[in-house]
Amino acid sequence: MTILQEPAAPASQPLEISERKRSLGKVAVSWMTSTDHKVIGYMYLILATSYFFLAGIMALVIRAELTVPGLQFISLEQYNTSFTMHGTIMLFLFATPLYVGFGNVIVPLQIGAPDVAFPRLNMLGFWLFFFGGFVAAAGFLTPGGAAAFGWFAYTPLSSSTYSPGAGGSLWLLGLAMGGLGTILGSVNFVTTIYTMRAPGMTMFRMPIFTWTILVTAILVLLCFPVLAAALLMLFIDRQFGAVVFAPENGGALLWQHLFWFFGHPEVYILALPFFGIASEIIPTFSRKPIFGYIGLVFATLAIGALSMAVWAHHLYVTGSVYLPYFSLMTMLIAVPTGVKFFNWIGTMWRGSVSFETPMLWTMGFLITFLFGGVTGIILASPPLDFHVSDSYFVVAHFHYTIFGTVVFMFFAALYYWWPKFTGKMLDEKLGKWQFWFTFIGFQVTFLVQHWLGVEGMPRRYGDYLPSDNFTLLNEISTAGSAVLGIGMLFFVWNVIKTGRSKQKVTVDDPWGYGGSLEWATSCPPPRHNFTSLPRIRSYRPAFDLHYPELAESAAGHGAIEGGAK
Amino acid sequence: MGLTTVTRSGRSRIRGRALVLAAGLGLGAMALSGCTANEAFFFDMPDPATKEAHTIYDLWHGAWYAAWAVGIVTWALMLFAAFAYRRRHADDQPEQTKYNLPIEILYTLVPLIMILGLFWFTAKDQSELLSVKDDQAQTINVVGFRWSWGFNYLDENVYDVGMPIGEGSLEGAPTLVLPVNEKVKFELTSPDVIHSFWVPDFLFKMDVIPGKTNVFELTPDKVGTYPGRCAELCGVDHSRMLFTVKVVERPEFEKYIADLKAKGQTGTLQTGRTTTHGQQPQERRI
Repeated sequence: MTILQEPAAPASQPLEISERKRSLGKVAVSWMTSTDHKVIGYMYLILATSYFFLAGIMALVIRAELTVPGLQFISLEQYNTSFTMHGTIMLFLFATPLYVGFGNVIVPLQIGAPDVAFPRLNMLGFWLFFFGGFVAAAGFLTPGGAAAFGWFAYTPLSSSTYSPGAGGSLWLLGLAMGGLGTILGSVNFVTTIYTMRAPGMTMFRMPIFTWTILVTAILVLLCFPVLAAALLMLFIDRQFGAVVFAPENGGALLWQHLFWFFGHPEVYILALPFFGIASEIIPTFSRKPIFGYIGLVFATLAIGALSMAVWAHHLYVTGSVYLPYFSLMTMLIAVPTGVKFFNWIGTMWRGSVSFETPMLWTMGFLITFLFGGVTGIILASPPLDFHVSDSYFVVAHFHYTIFGTVVFMFFAALYYWWPKFTGKMLDEKLGKWQFWFTFIGFQVTFLVQHWLGVEGMPRRYGDYLPSDNFTLLNEISTAGSAVLGIGMLFFVWNVIKTGRSKQKVTVDDPWGYGGSLEWATSCPPPRHNFTSLPRIRSYRPAFDLHYPELAESAAGHGAIEGGAK
Repeated sequence: MGLTTVTRSGRSRIRGRALVLAAGLGLGAMALSGCTANEAFFFDMPDPATKEAHTIYDLWHGAWYAAWAVGIVTWALMLFAAFAYRRRHADDQPEQTKYNLPIEILYTLVPLIMILGLFWFTAKDQSELLSVKDDQAQTINVVGFRWSWGFNYLDENVYDVGMPIGEGSLEGAPTLVLPVNEKVKFELTSPDVIHSFWVPDFLFKMDVIPGKTNVFELTPDKVGTYPGRCAELCGVDHSRMLFTVKVVERPEFEKYIADLKAKGQTGTLQTGRTTTHGQQPQERRI
C-alpha cells in the first residue's frame, strides 16, 4: 500500500514558493481571526506545547537544584516560585488546554459535523485562555516575582499577609480568566456533541474519544465555576480585605474544600480525553474494534461521577474529614479504571498488534499509568497517607498518573493525528528515539522518588541535609530528568524535519485501520471537514467504509446496534 | 486466528520463560544490591517507633502485597498481549471480536471485591489510629510557626522553642523529648499558616492548622533520635523547618524537664491554641 507519495509538482520547483502563497502576516491574521474549529484547536495545541517546554525547563531547574544538598543554582524563594509555576503551567496552561485543543480539532470530525455549535464562542474561549495564561504568568515581570504558594494556593499562605505582591493576585485573576475560557469551550463541546452529530451517528456509535470529551466537558461545567468562585473570593480577600478565607472563620479548610472540589475532578479532566485517545489508537494498531465498547462508555461515566465525590482525599491529614466515605469513593474509582485497562488489553488480545510510534507511546502510557494507579490505591487508604501524604511518594504518584497519561498520550496523539492535522507523517525513527529517551528518562526520574518519599523526604523542599541520606536517590532522579529532557529535543527536531519534508499523505487513512470518521476525509480535511459522509451504521464508520467485507461479518460477532448492513 | 502461526504450546513456553526470566532478574537485582525485601518492594518503610505505627506498617505491607500482585498480573497481561499478538504479516486480518460479557463481568467484580477488602482493613485501622481516649501520660502542645516549632509540655508547665535550621546542619532546630512507652497526646496549633507535623519514624503526620486544634495520641516504644519535618508548604523557609524527636527513658526525660525549668523556660508559648486547657488565644509571643 502506497501511503506516501512525492508531490505532483516537479521537484525542481522551489518548495517555498509553491507552499507560501500567502505572506506570514496574512497567515497570522487569518489564524487570529479564525473561527474554524480546526485552526482554533491548532492554536490551543501550539500554545499548550510552548507552555509544556517552558514548564519542562522549570522542572529541569528544580531537579538540578535538588541533586545534592545545599543551594547551588537558585534561592529557596526562587525554588518555591519554580515548582508553583511548574505545576500551574503544566496543569492549567498545558494539560487542560490540550483537552480543548484535541477536542476542538477531532470531535467535529468524529461526529461528522462541519464545525462546532458556537464557533465564535469557541474563539472567545481561546482568547480568554491566551490572555489568561499571560496574566497568570505575568507575575514573573513584577518586583515580587510570580506566585510562590504552590499550585493549590492554600490559605492563609496565599493571603496578602503571607504572600504580598502582585504575583499572587495576577495568578488568581489569570486562572479565573483562563478557566472561563475552558468553561465556554466545554459548553461548546456539550452542545456540539448533543446537537450536531451526522445522521446515523447515535450516542452509542460515537467514538470513545468523543465520549470522553463529553464527560470531561460536563466535569468542567460542574467544577470550574467552583474554582472561579474560590479564586475570585481569594482575590477579594487579598485586594479588598474581605475575610472569606480568614483562619478564624475556618477559612483554611474552606479553601481546601473548594479548591479540591475542583482539583480532583480536574485530574480526571486531564486524564479522560487521553484515555479516549488510547481507546482510538489501540484498536487502529491492533486491527480490531475496541473491546467492550458499552462497558468502556459506562466506565467513563462512572469515573466522571465518582471523581466528583472524592475531593477530600487530599485532606486526609487535616483531621477534619470523614475518612471512611472518601476512602471508599476513592478506592471505587479503581474499578472503572481497571475496566478500561482490561478493555485495552482485550482489544490487543488476538489482534494483530504493530508498534508504530502512536502505539509505542500508548504502550508507554499503559505501563506507566498502571503503576500510578497502583500507588493511587495505596494513597486511597488514609492510614497509609498518615505516613506518605505530602511526601515525594505523592510527587512520584501524580507524575506516574499525569505524566503517564497526559504526556505519553499527548505524543501518541500527535504522532497519530499529525498526518490528519498537516498532511504529513512525522518521522517514525525520530519518534522512536524520542519515545525511548522519554520512557527511560521518566522511569529513572520518578521511580526512585517513591523511595525518597517513604524514607521521609517531604515535597516542596528546596534543600535537604547530607545526613538525611536522600542524596543518592536525588542524583539518580536528576540524571533521569536530563535523559527525559534530551528526549524532548528529538521531538523539536522531528517537527522541523517533517515541516521541511515534501512527502505528503495522499490517502484518507495513512494508518490503514482507523475506525472513526476523521479517517474518512482527506489529510488535512477541507474547511468544512467532509466532501461526503459515509453511511454510519456502527461505531466504526470509516472502517466499515474501507473494509465492507469485514463489517459484514462483524455483524455476526456481536456488533452493537446491528453493525453494517 | 487468520495468519498467526505460533502454536499454543510454543506460546506457553515463551510465557514460562519470560516469567522465569522476570523473577530471576528481580531476585538477582535484589541479591546484588544487598537489599532487604522491605527496601526493594516496600520502598524502605521505616521501622515503626511507636506502638500505633505497627498498624500502619502492617497495613502498608499487606496493601502492597495485593498491589504488586494486581500490578504484576496486569503488566504481564498487557505485555503478553502486545508480544504474543504482534503483527506477523502485513495483511493479518484478526477476527473482529467486540465484547465478551462473562469476562467483562469478571474483570469488574474481582477488582470490586479486592477494593472492598482493602477498605475493610483501612476503615478498621483508621478509626483505631485516630481515636482519642484521653488516657495519656503526657500532653504536648506542638506549635508550628514560620519557620520552626515550639513544644509546650503542658503537664510539666515548661516549653522549648527552636529556630529555622542553618545551612547544612540541624543547628537551631528544636528537640522534642518524649518518655518511652508512655502515651502522648499531641495538640497541634499554628499562629500563622498551615504546617504539618511529620515524624517519618512514627509513620504519622497531621496538619497544623490555624484556627483549629488537631489532636492525636501516640505511644513511642523505641528509644532513639528521630528527624521530624514540616510537611505542608508554609513559605520560603519550609525546608528549614526541621526538628528532632528524642525518645528517652523516664529518668532522662525528667532530667530534661528539670533542665528546661532551670533555664527558666516555664509556662507556655501562647500561640494560637484555642479552647483546650481553658486558655484563650492571645497574641503570639514568638
